[in-house]
Amino acid sequence: MKINDTLPLEYRTEENSNKIFGFWLFLGAEIALFSTLFAVYFTLWNRTGSGPTGKELFEVGGVIWETFLLLTSSFTCGLGIHAMRLGLKKPMMIFFIVTLLMGLGFLGIEITEFVNYVHEGATLQTSAFLSSLFVLLGTHGLHVTMGILWGAGILIQVGRQGFTPETANKSFIFSLYWHFLDVVWIFIFSFVYMKGLM
Amino acid sequence: MKWDEFFVTGEPMIYAADVSIVLVSLAIVIGLTYFKKWGYLWREWLTTVDHKKIGIMYILSALIMLFRGGVDALLMRAQLAVPDNKILDAQHYNEIFTTHGVIMILFMAMPFVIGMMNVVVPLQIGARDVAFPRLNAVSFWMFFMGAMLFNISFVIGGSPDAGWSAYFPLASLEFSPTVGNNYYSLALQISGIGTLMTGVNFIVTILKMRAPGMKLMRMPMFTWSVLITNVIILFAFPVLTVALALMMFDRVFGSQFFTMANGGMDMLWANLFWVWGHPEVYIVILPAFGIFSDVISTFSKKNLYGYKSMVISMVAISVLSFLVWAHHFYTMGQGAMVNGFFSITTMAIAVPTGVKIFNWLFTLRKGKISFTSPMMYAMGFIPIFTIGGVTGVMLAMASADYQYHNTMFLVAHFHYVLIPGTVFGVLAGMHYWFPKMFGFRLNERLAKTAFWLIIVGFNVAFMPLFFLGLNGMTRRMYTYSANTGFGPLNMIATIGALVLAIGFVVLCYNFFYSFRHSPRNEGGDPWDARTLEWSTPSPVPVYNFAKVPVVKDEDAFWHAKKHNVPLYEEGPYEEIHMPNNSGQPFILGVIMFFLGFFLVFSWFIPAIIAGIGVVVMLAVRSFERDHGYHISPKEIAATEQKLRGDTV
Amino acid sequence: MARLFPIRHVMGYIFSLVLSLVALGVIYWDLTFAAAMVILIISALIQASLQLVLFMHIGETDSKKTLYLNIAYAVFVGVVTIFGTLFAMIWGY
Repeated sequence: MKINDTLPLEYRTEENSNKIFGFWLFLGAEIALFSTLFAVYFTLWNRTGSGPTGKELFEVGGVIWETFLLLTSSFTCGLGIHAMRLGLKKPMMIFFIVTLLMGLGFLGIEITEFVNYVHEGATLQTSAFLSSLFVLLGTHGLHVTMGILWGAGILIQVGRQGFTPETANKSFIFSLYWHFLDVVWIFIFSFVYMKGLM
Repeated sequence: MKWDEFFVTGEPMIYAADVSIVLVSLAIVIGLTYFKKWGYLWREWLTTVDHKKIGIMYILSALIMLFRGGVDALLMRAQLAVPDNKILDAQHYNEIFTTHGVIMILFMAMPFVIGMMNVVVPLQIGARDVAFPRLNAVSFWMFFMGAMLFNISFVIGGSPDAGWSAYFPLASLEFSPTVGNNYYSLALQISGIGTLMTGVNFIVTILKMRAPGMKLMRMPMFTWSVLITNVIILFAFPVLTVALALMMFDRVFGSQFFTMANGGMDMLWANLFWVWGHPEVYIVILPAFGIFSDVISTFSKKNLYGYKSMVISMVAISVLSFLVWAHHFYTMGQGAMVNGFFSITTMAIAVPTGVKIFNWLFTLRKGKISFTSPMMYAMGFIPIFTIGGVTGVMLAMASADYQYHNTMFLVAHFHYVLIPGTVFGVLAGMHYWFPKMFGFRLNERLAKTAFWLIIVGFNVAFMPLFFLGLNGMTRRMYTYSANTGFGPLNMIATIGALVLAIGFVVLCYNFFYSFRHSPRNEGGDPWDARTLEWSTPSPVPVYNFAKVPVVKDEDAFWHAKKHNVPLYEEGPYEEIHMPNNSGQPFILGVIMFFLGFFLVFSWFIPAIIAGIGVVVMLAVRSFERDHGYHISPKEIAATEQKLRGDTV
Repeated sequence: MARLFPIRHVMGYIFSLVLSLVALGVIYWDLTFAAAMVILIISALIQASLQLVLFMHIGETDSKKTLYLNIAYAVFVGVVTIFGTLFAMIWGY
């Protein structure tokens, strides 16, 4: 198997370079997916029927915390990959654990937000606006959840095997996914919450 | 839930289907056991990650689905042959045209086209497999399980009945309270995931795994068409994923996306569906165009005329295909500005296709033409598809479309592009590449007989529909009265459909006849063809190429033959690294089938368990450490000796 | 320790926080709808580009042209889907 030592570890075999490339393509598809969800949200956002509007529901405090947590987790994830490229296993694992914990924190706040909405009578079934809100936020949240499970699996593998072309490759691909989720959140933050609270 | 809500009851046809499903399943199980072939089935087919075998499974599935969709068509044509007919009532007719459409487009055309991609593309670019063989197997089983889930609706729960486009509010829970349209949402979703993964796989394969010297502008045109098709797949299928998910939320979880109260917007479904749906029709046609390019150039013994413009036109089509979707609902109520914009983009997209037609004609000009069966399909395609294309330009004009929309004129238009386009394309491809897959050619006499029956039957079946549409007959209409005057043309169309059906029977018979009688000694290049796949022996060894070929020009194999230039470098064989088979894709497929099935019936606890099963399979894959196996140079030499009689 | 926190990452992170605060500003400042949308879209696009270039290393391999093309095509499809839907379903009605 040809190994190109001029490249970072995660790219060194042809197969692994292809996997990273393929994952970028998948992220392109995910951009189209979230754009469709946004299209639905923007079409339905003021069709509130007899239910509440965004302005009545959204609370800026939770949103600020969610944004801070996700942004910081993206920062720590980037630091983790940087540590990996320096060959430092323990710092990489610590940064990744912090990343995943912050992801859990994000999820906790989001789930609390959903539970509060339901208690206030704003459910998936209440209006088109609420359906599209829950599905847009929920799809992002489900992606974060899957990411946390995936990240934990990779951490276990790095813990056991150290940095091999395979584990480095998986960690890098995971980081692409995690950064992408932060990009999606930036748009949710701006065009769901900020626009809704204006 | 009562038994008669679960099993479809009260219909003799359905009971007959139940019986035949049980009998066929029993026959398969008994046959496999008696001939001791379970191990063979598992090892060679159910766990394969070999693109050639996966391609054959796709094509076989497509042929079976062609049969089911064809029977639907014959039933419809039987019902419409005379006025006030009583063969099918309205409900059954609705179920049949719905399943006909879904099956033909999503479970016949798509797998046939994807099957062709799988068999041919790695061979055409000099690669040993696709970029992600395991993912490729997952793609197949996702498709297959989605198709099985859709097909089971016929006997369990009831077929969907709101048309293949499943418009709301008809497809909503309020107006379609039975589970039929749940099957639509979930089966298509599962298959769609498979297709999206194919998109990623083939783009990486084509961009990253070409043999040295095969620059992009030296690739065969079929491979170019596959690259562009997969780009469209990559960006169009996520839209379908969202649309189907929203349909599922509305129908299974009571959300308000497409309802008529509480802010829902039923027309949003049609919008989202067609944002995907229009690129989808280009996904099924572009590979057919690619096949025709390869076939026409091979059997004219000429380079493809206008290679660069062929590539540019396909890129233009791919971009424009995302800009035309509203032409599917010009009459839905939006204003003239919207309709005008989409009319312009729709008329524009006809131009690059026109360029391609001329390039094919110029390829034929002064060529040394052989009228083989693939070539017959290609030559039949050119004039007849053009009829479909120009009627498309008629439909493109929004104001005129108010007359044509949802009449039989539209039905005739899209069958005139789908059948002479996609179906002839895959049939041409199947006849062309059959010897590469199986080591013998299909019998030419039978193939041509089938071709003539098909092309004559097709035109007799569908040409009258243009006139019926202009006379006012709408689509999806289960009967009509005698004083509409629609009777005679409908009768002619039905006769055409019968001839078409006989053509397909002859085509299928050809498989059996050729298996028994075709010579097996024609070598790897029976057509004296031009592209790299023909430089391999037939059938192809598991590793495709013993040595990676070195490409010097477009039509690499032809170049090597004509200029007596070797395709391979001197030197010994090197060890080849191959992926292992795996049962995981099949198992994941089965779990997805059950997940979909449980959601169809809103059985949430079993669905959650199945969902956990999916996550478990993902974890198994993540923790797996399987590095494949190696084929030694000695083994390679022995295989090549056996297949070719000499070494390369 | 310093090499664990490369300056580019730290600057990128701080800049992202600032951009998020700017976006937050639209609910506290008195702005027209159009002005607010412009601020939101620009801050979001800059943050997204930061993520792509600085953290995701989009430009570090030979494939970068293809990767940029991939993102461009995806954004094209996304923008067309969003604005085409709004055009056909709401504005053009």
